[in-house]
Amino acid sequence: MRNVCIIAGGMSQWGVRQATLRELFQEAGKACFEDNPMVTNKDIDGLIVASAYTERLATQTHLAPLVAEHLGIKTRSVCARVELLCASGSSAIIMAYSLIKAGVADVVMVAGGEKLNTPQKWEAFYSQLCSVDHDYDGAHGLGLPPAALAMVAKLHMKKYGTTEEQMAMVSVKNRRNGLNNPKGQFKECIDLNTAMCAKVVAKPLKLYDCCPLTDGAAAVILASEEKAKQLTDRPLVYIMGTGQCTLYNASANKVDWTSWEALRIASQKAYSEAGITARDIKVAQVHDCFSISEIIEYEELGFCKKGEGGPFVESGQSDFGGQVAVNTDGGLLSCGHPFGGTGIRQGIEIMKQLQGRAAKNVEGAQFGLTHNFSGMIAAQTVLVYGREK
Amino acid sequence: MRGISRLEGKYAVTMDLYPPQGKEFTRIQPFFDNLKEGRFTTTKCKDCGKLSYPPRVVCPECLSENLDWFELPKEATVVVPVVEEIGVPIGFETPLCLAMITLEGYFTFITRIINCKPGSLEEGDKVRFVSYEVEPFPAEFGRETVEIKRYYFAFEPVDENKRK
Repeated sequence: MRNVCIIAGGMSQWGVRQATLRELFQEAGKACFEDNPMVTNKDIDGLIVASAYTERLATQTHLAPLVAEHLGIKTRSVCARVELLCASGSSAIIMAYSLIKAGVADVVMVAGGEKLNTPQKWEAFYSQLCSVDHDYDGAHGLGLPPAALAMVAKLHMKKYGTTEEQMAMVSVKNRRNGLNNPKGQFKECIDLNTAMCAKVVAKPLKLYDCCPLTDGAAAVILASEEKAKQLTDRPLVYIMGTGQCTLYNASANKVDWTSWEALRIASQKAYSEAGITARDIKVAQVHDCFSISEIIEYEELGFCKKGEGGPFVESGQSDFGGQVAVNTDGGLLSCGHPFGGTGIRQGIEIMKQLQGRAAKNVEGAQFGLTHNFSGMIAAQTVLVYGREK
Repeated sequence: MRGISRLEGKYAVTMDLYPPQGKEFTRIQPFFDNLKEGRFTTTKCKDCGKLSYPPRVVCPECLSENLDWFELPKEATVVVPVVEEIGVPIGFETPLCLAMITLEGYFTFITRIINCKPGSLEEGDKVRFVSYEVEPFPAEFGRETVEIKRYYFAFEPVDENKRK
């Protein structure tokens, strides 16, 4: 089996964009090639596209050949779309990594994006009903998380003493880190008081506890180690381990809403493949679609003990200078969350961190991690990246 | 030609909120027939005994197709209630009352709570199963369009003071 490296990455401007899905993919592809002038569209032999709501919101299926055509890519090894809602981008990276590792492909672009703001604002909320179990959860009005994560927050507060202030601290930290990503949706810091006094979405979650609806795309290029040595002169960053776990989908089959077993399984597999433990991770991009989710993720990824996610953020352990810097470019709460693009944006930030060229670097980081959950906390996806020694 | 009429003020209203129903479209029509009669049922495997929800056509445990309909209790206990105040899907009104509920000894799941004063529901409250008719399913048979009646369910507070 071959080693696989990430050698380039770029993103479109994210936010409420006056642009179509195909235009966002063109912007992201261009930014990706500009990130590494040693690789061109002629070097790419495979393309995997990640997008979830493309049929309804962009009225387009068969998306990968369209993106290839627009980016001047002529594929030989793979050209297909991957969908796992919020984890579509990370899933596509895992697929590309696997194909390169196995020798099926050599140099693959992974491009992910979403156009969520449509002329009628309701569309994205409406589409969310088909992202959970449509017939048995969606039909009750349960779209994507606000309601379910509000329940999770209440349960976590009751069981472990987590406070609304601690959740707000996640939002404050990530909004501040968002200044490190000029292409993210938000570029304004907020203070704790603003976060605490914001409009209620679903109690205890308030406006700044929730990520926004975002248009945007991002792209990375993965290559076999042999090709990577020809196509970059930067320090090589390897994908060291991956894990993807689902144990249930419908709300009726979840065992414990505050203890995310699937994330423990996925992260342990990824750590094991990389030959490391949670303590070796110094920089991580985790799925902060809601502030409470980042708190639970600290626990399940092993950054702190179960139930101590609240104190972990409060004591600064998840910020620059702490045990592990989490969401160093602002995460979903600040960059926004175009589902298919998110895992790819996370990969770009980790690549830059491990190459020492991020907007704000975590000193001495050897390993980095990305994480997404998707659906109603139904699937968990983890990747571990590592820098050449 | 301006396009099709569904774009005129109805752009977003093209997703069906409810499951397909009618024996021509689903193999679990008894579930919906039972809803019409006010019964909450799901499938139980006759071979391994596994009770599944949502209802199935194949047992997820032993993969048997030898399934039977099983009557679930109609009263449940609230584990955690939530009121969604903004951002609910079109077709639902704010505030939208939802709750994670437990059918004692069977399943814990999230359901819509109807006929409820927003904010009144608390952990430990009893709620009961309610079924009702929802938007019909306009199905084409040859050149004719036939409206297939459909049914769905929610829960409501048992305590009259919490009902509206």
